Amino acid sequence: MLSAIRNMAKIKFYSALNIIGLTVGLVTFILIFLYVRDEITYDRHHKNYERIYRIESSFRIGTKYDNFAIVPLPMAPALQLEFPEIEQVVRFAGEENLLVRIGDKEYYEDHFYYTDSTVFDVFNHPLLAGSIDRCLVEPNSIVLTNSSAKKYFGNENPIGRIVLVDNDIQFKVTAVVADVLENSHLKFDALMSASTLAHRPGGEDFNSLDPERFWNIGLYAYVMLNPNSNIESIFGKFPQFYEKYMKSLGDQLNASFDLKATRLDKVHLTSKLAADLPTGNIAYIKIFSIVALFILLLATINYMNMATARATKRAKEVGLRKVVGAERRQLIVQFISEALLLTFIAYLLSLALTSVLLPDFNTLSGKAFTLSGIATPDFLLLIFGISVVIGIISGSYPAFYLSSFSPLKVLKGNAGKSGKANQWLRRGLVLVQFFIAIVMIIATIVVSDQLDFLKNKDLGFDKNHAVVLEMQDTSFRKQAVAFKDHLLQNPSIVSVCNSSGVPSRNLWIQVMLVEQENEMKEMAVILTQCDYDYPKTMRFKFLEGRDFDRNMGTDDTAAVIINQTAAKQFGWGEEAIGKKINYGMELDRSGGRIMKVIGVVKDYNFNSLHNKIEPIIMFISRQPRFLTTVRYKEGEKNRVLESIEQAWTEFGSKRPFDYKMLSEMQEESYGAEQRISTLFLIIASITLFIALLGLLGLSSFTAESRTREIGIRKVTGALTGDIMLLLFREFFWLILISFVFAVPVAIWQITNWLESGFVYYTEIHWYSVVISGLAALVIGLATISFHVVRAASANPVESLKYE
Amino acid sequence: MIKSVDLTRIFLTEEVETTALRQVNFNIEQGEFVAIMGPSGCGKSTLLNIIGLLDNPTKGKYIFLDHDVSNSSERQRAKLRKQNIGFVFQNFNLIDELTVFENVEMPLIYLGIPTKERKQRVDEVLEQMQISHRKKHFPGQLSGGQQQRVAVARAVVSNPKLILADEPTGNLDSANGEEVMNLLSDLNRKGTTIIMVTHSQRDAEFSHRIIRLFDGQILTENFQGN
Repeated sequence: MLSAIRNMAKIKFYSALNIIGLTVGLVTFILIFLYVRDEITYDRHHKNYERIYRIESSFRIGTKYDNFAIVPLPMAPALQLEFPEIEQVVRFAGEENLLVRIGDKEYYEDHFYYTDSTVFDVFNHPLLAGSIDRCLVEPNSIVLTNSSAKKYFGNENPIGRIVLVDNDIQFKVTAVVADVLENSHLKFDALMSASTLAHRPGGEDFNSLDPERFWNIGLYAYVMLNPNSNIESIFGKFPQFYEKYMKSLGDQLNASFDLKATRLDKVHLTSKLAADLPTGNIAYIKIFSIVALFILLLATINYMNMATARATKRAKEVGLRKVVGAERRQLIVQFISEALLLTFIAYLLSLALTSVLLPDFNTLSGKAFTLSGIATPDFLLLIFGISVVIGIISGSYPAFYLSSFSPLKVLKGNAGKSGKANQWLRRGLVLVQFFIAIVMIIATIVVSDQLDFLKNKDLGFDKNHAVVLEMQDTSFRKQAVAFKDHLLQNPSIVSVCNSSGVPSRNLWIQVMLVEQENEMKEMAVILTQCDYDYPKTMRFKFLEGRDFDRNMGTDDTAAVIINQTAAKQFGWGEEAIGKKINYGMELDRSGGRIMKVIGVVKDYNFNSLHNKIEPIIMFISRQPRFLTTVRYKEGEKNRVLESIEQAWTEFGSKRPFDYKMLSEMQEESYGAEQRISTLFLIIASITLFIALLGLLGLSSFTAESRTREIGIRKVTGALTGDIMLLLFREFFWLILISFVFAVPVAIWQITNWLESGFVYYTEIHWYSVVISGLAALVIGLATISFHVVRAASANPVESLKYE
Repeated sequence: MIKSVDLTRIFLTEEVETTALRQVNFNIEQGEFVAIMGPSGCGKSTLLNIIGLLDNPTKGKYIFLDHDVSNSSERQRAKLRKQNIGFVFQNFNLIDELTVFENVEMPLIYLGIPTKERKQRVDEVLEQMQISHRKKHFPGQLSGGQQQRVAVARAVVSNPKLILADEPTGNLDSANGEEVMNLLSDLNRKGTTIIMVTHSQRDAEFSHRIIRLFDGQILTENFQGN
């Protein structure tokens, strides 16, 4: 060990390179490990997670199939009634943007749920105050999390205090539970007793088993099975259940339903359903795990590479030691302990660096790791164990290689001139590193190209210079027309419209009758109800027909505008104008609003570019709708926002002024891509960095081991430039070969990513690929230039004298 | 051809200042064969390095082929060197990874001579050194005498005006040593100037003139009768 320390001190440059490389590798590994471990252990803190399932919906309406994370209101209690396998059920009905008042303070909350009183029978949430037994039984009861309680009541006792929700429902705090752990897929800030709703006039009856209730989906529901039951037996008996509760109405609607379920701990990573809570992505978990291992591998390779590169210098030491009686085994121990010493230093440094980087990593990953939370003995031990393994692996090759030198040869000065095979191994290792780095660079560039594409693609509507207002307050919403007229007086405002949806915010889908070959057929179609100015304000492009027109007299009831895809999928082709759609008919197909197509607009992306464009129709609404969109003159944004806010207050909205830019609403869907893009950039930088360390080591070795050759060449007429060219050329080829291997792999992988994630995506530009290769080349050659220049400009007299 | 005026070379290490050459003056004419002799550390190699344009004098003047190169840049010296000087070393200094042919070809590459002409000239000179049969071999596969013949071939392939030999027979047995000395004498007879550092009186006998160095100064200059 003493010799290991001395040897390390002697060769500061290599030791530093190795420690830096290993530290960076370990830190990356630790952070990714934390992330992945967190992702794959979601919801496992609930004692019974293995028998808790979230139930989900699979609907067919006409020929359209959809899967939802939410289920009909009575599904869970009805299942419990029918199936003895079910021990307990609980439902969560979420409320978004809920106005909460405590005294004279106002809050807007997104994570409040109406919940059955059984919630704590199913899930484990540690109680901090109050009583857990009957806390959600009585109407108007509310359970707060610790943070919510602190936020509303500070350090006062929250139990028994009043929380006013939506201006008119009073809740009494009955209990406080610990904050929901970060790795829970359903995070709540407060739970309100479901019985509250059941007792409100006109409120949803949570417990009615009325057949119509089965055909409206609306809440998250969980079932906890008896210990010895399994979910398959419920699936097996579900057809009888369907027959009993849902079939007759389903047949009338030309619809059917199937029950799905996901075990609690699988929800976060495997669920890909509509109306779901934010979920993780198993693909990224896989990518990151692979990356973590690769980076560790790269760092290990570096160590092996540099250690064997030093063989020349160490050969004499080995020979001497052998001559004075060292056994090979002792030498192996010596070299491995050198590697272990380095990895141990890297281990300590990486722990320190991890703690420094943790806050930034949290921001990046959206996690909330704390130092005390991660620094558990078993975690530290695990990372230590990994370091030891790396130390042994990275030390073993040099150990066996170096210890194999024959003392006779070494002392004659023949050994350690690292034979051709060894040289190729070292080059091969650097080649692998550059291969990975270049793949990562290409991936990073294409991901960022894709982000640009997502943000800049012509979406078929004008997303710029438009602000969207949510009119949550119903009495304010009733004045939408007057509000609009008021806004239009501002000359900076170009147009204003009111609608049930805007592009990227279109959730309304309904079954209607669509004219097809002289008969009306049921179809589930996405729709927007709007006013006359909606197409104009969105700047849809008309391909056929005309926009809504107040002067026509009948447009308010009998006109519908469809998109290109609708015309195609309804089978109308170019002759869509005049075709009929019946919206809002009764179950027996009587009544309804019969409308004729007056215009076809060019397809626009009303969803994110992950989704393909589907048929959508728009027609005039009979009453004001949820969203008002204001289009303003370029450059007038701030002034317009000011005047909107003023009007907002004047019209007496009970909600504080809030708005979204139309352009941002679209881009919100790309949060994951944004994050991936940043992560790729970081990972690419790390892999490149480690590859550069490897290159630096190799170049310094090359420069050293070729000193004599360089001297000879100079004496025989080579200029400094000739020598630099000679050395650069070798590395140039190395990087070029990595590039040639990396390009197809990168393109293959990234094409997979694009095709699986997006319907609309960027092409992979040839220049992105070339740039990445050039970047690797330039950075690589710059890295080695120090050694190359130094070696090339050395006076040959010096190098030849050493012989 | 070569003229030195008060040539002085001082080496500076961290604390010690060593004067390797002290105001050395000499002239060497075209076509001469000069031997430089003297005990270890007398400055022979330093002098040879300066003559070979591998090093610059600290003080004094060094004129090579009418160029005052006392203060030339490395680049200028390298250019002059590759056109006019060939080196032969005691330990041959061949590149192990290159074949005999490639080793000999190297100076021609750096002179920018086309491939075809290079091949012709290398073949010629290998023939002349009687080593043609070994041209595809690597230095490690040759005997010392053969290696030195390759080194001489490399030194003369570019037809330099001057050949500098640093103890060319130091690593050879007497038969091989004599052979190399005969090669050098032949070259000298054909007009090449030769300056040779040697410990061996026998080798020195081949020269026209012996310069004896001691402590960085010229002790004597003996002209030998042919």
